[in-house]
Amino acid sequence: MTGTIRRAAEVLLFCAALIILWEGGVRLFEVKPYLLPSLSSIAEETWRARAQLWHHSLVTLGEVALGFAFATVLGVALAALIFFVPLARRTLYPFVVALQSIPKIGLAPIIVVWCGYGLASKVTMAFLFAFFPIVITTLGGLASTPAHLEEHFRALGAKAWASFWRLRVPSALPSFVDGAKVAMPLAVIGAIVGEFVGSNDGLGNLILIATGSSQTALSFSALLVVTGLSLALFYLIEALGRLVWWRQG
Amino acid sequence: MVAAGLKPVADMAPVAIAIDGVTKRFGSLTVLDNVTAEIRDREFVSILGPSGCGKSTLLRILAGLVACEEGGIDIFGGRVKGPRDDVGVVFQTANLLPWLNIEANLRLGLEIRRGKAVARATDIAPMVETLGLTGFEQHFPHQLSGGMRHRVAIGQTLLCDPRVLLMDEPFGALDALTRDRLNMELLRIWQRDAKTVVLITHSIAEAVLLSDRVLVMSERPGRIIRDVTIDLPRPRDPSRTRESAAFGEYVVELSRLMGVG
Repeated sequence: MTGTIRRAAEVLLFCAALIILWEGGVRLFEVKPYLLPSLSSIAEETWRARAQLWHHSLVTLGEVALGFAFATVLGVALAALIFFVPLARRTLYPFVVALQSIPKIGLAPIIVVWCGYGLASKVTMAFLFAFFPIVITTLGGLASTPAHLEEHFRALGAKAWASFWRLRVPSALPSFVDGAKVAMPLAVIGAIVGEFVGSNDGLGNLILIATGSSQTALSFSALLVVTGLSLALFYLIEALGRLVWWRQG
Repeated sequence: MVAAGLKPVADMAPVAIAIDGVTKRFGSLTVLDNVTAEIRDREFVSILGPSGCGKSTLLRILAGLVACEEGGIDIFGGRVKGPRDDVGVVFQTANLLPWLNIEANLRLGLEIRRGKAVARATDIAPMVETLGLTGFEQHFPHQLSGGMRHRVAIGQTLLCDPRVLLMDEPFGALDALTRDRLNMELLRIWQRDAKTVVLITHSIAEAVLLSDRVLVMSERPGRIIRDVTIDLPRPRDPSRTRESAAFGEYVVELSRLMGVG
């Protein structure tokens, strides 16, 4: 108990030191606000622009949620296809790996050309960032079914369908959850990158506009909200992942 | 001299399992070399052999999990082509699903073999009690000791009520006391339910304690080098049976056959 309090106190003290260093440094050296605004002015700006931030957050959240959902559905489907169909394993799998090697940031302008300035291009970017980790971890999960359990199911005369739902899927879930935890923050990055390249709203767009018009405090506010959004989404996955409690650990 | 080489008493019973010249190779490695044996209905037979002699492979062939290059297996007159519903297998590792509780794990075999309805309708309480798992139905495998997990695995197979029970060193990883207890439970169930049991083991004492007959296998390539009938009175009991002179003689003889005497 005292250990817990002590550790919490350490973290709080460290944060307090950082805040004092930032706030004090900016005031002491009179740093120009467009270079580095003080923490207090960022806080003020966040409050002032709360309606604006809320609107852009919802836009970005929608893009991330859709991109992540598509990545999950298509990623799991593709992993299953690659795992169960030898032809797909020989052809699709190397293709997917090769695609993964393309820097996705470099794809963003082309995606905007293809999908336009609206929702679709951002969803596509979030999807592209989240897709690969889901495919790889699901594939790993499907392959990680313990051989002795597989043999046991065979000895019981289990049909392929029963083996799949009763054994393979639950065995693959822990690995899939790990993949989803990696993919979620990546989906946020994807959406922001998409907004940078071409958009009319969203937090990435706000960061770009604010920085362009020397409203650096607002751009920090937006960054803060993006970070919060990403963390919240990560912990949402983490919480859902607890349902898969038989995960080793 | 003990009754080695004599024809088993259970000769009157029909043949349950006929192992007919089974040869198994993995590439250029011959694992089983022309293994031939007959196991009668309701007989308790142990297959004893040094590690690596192919006895586990033989069990997998009996279970229809592995095909052999030459020869074949007949169970109740039918050639084994794959896993059969009248054969139950208990493996070396307790094969439980970590995400199912003990009750669900016990019902899993029934559910896969006979469907959800039968599994749900089956009263598992007597089996739970026999195996000393009362009160643990809602626990999960990781909350149980190794011995209890093995009991659940055995219970799952027994609930399917197979006529033939194949066991691959199911008690190998357990301490001596738990092993004795489970051995006795196994004997009780075997006698009550009139099953044919084939037990793979490398424990000479265990083989003598439990079996009607012990088939001794050679080192790789595995062949059956001796068929020893264990003519000890039943019901057997770990302490009393082991103290008898005849028990000691069987152990000595089998040890000699396995080259450890």
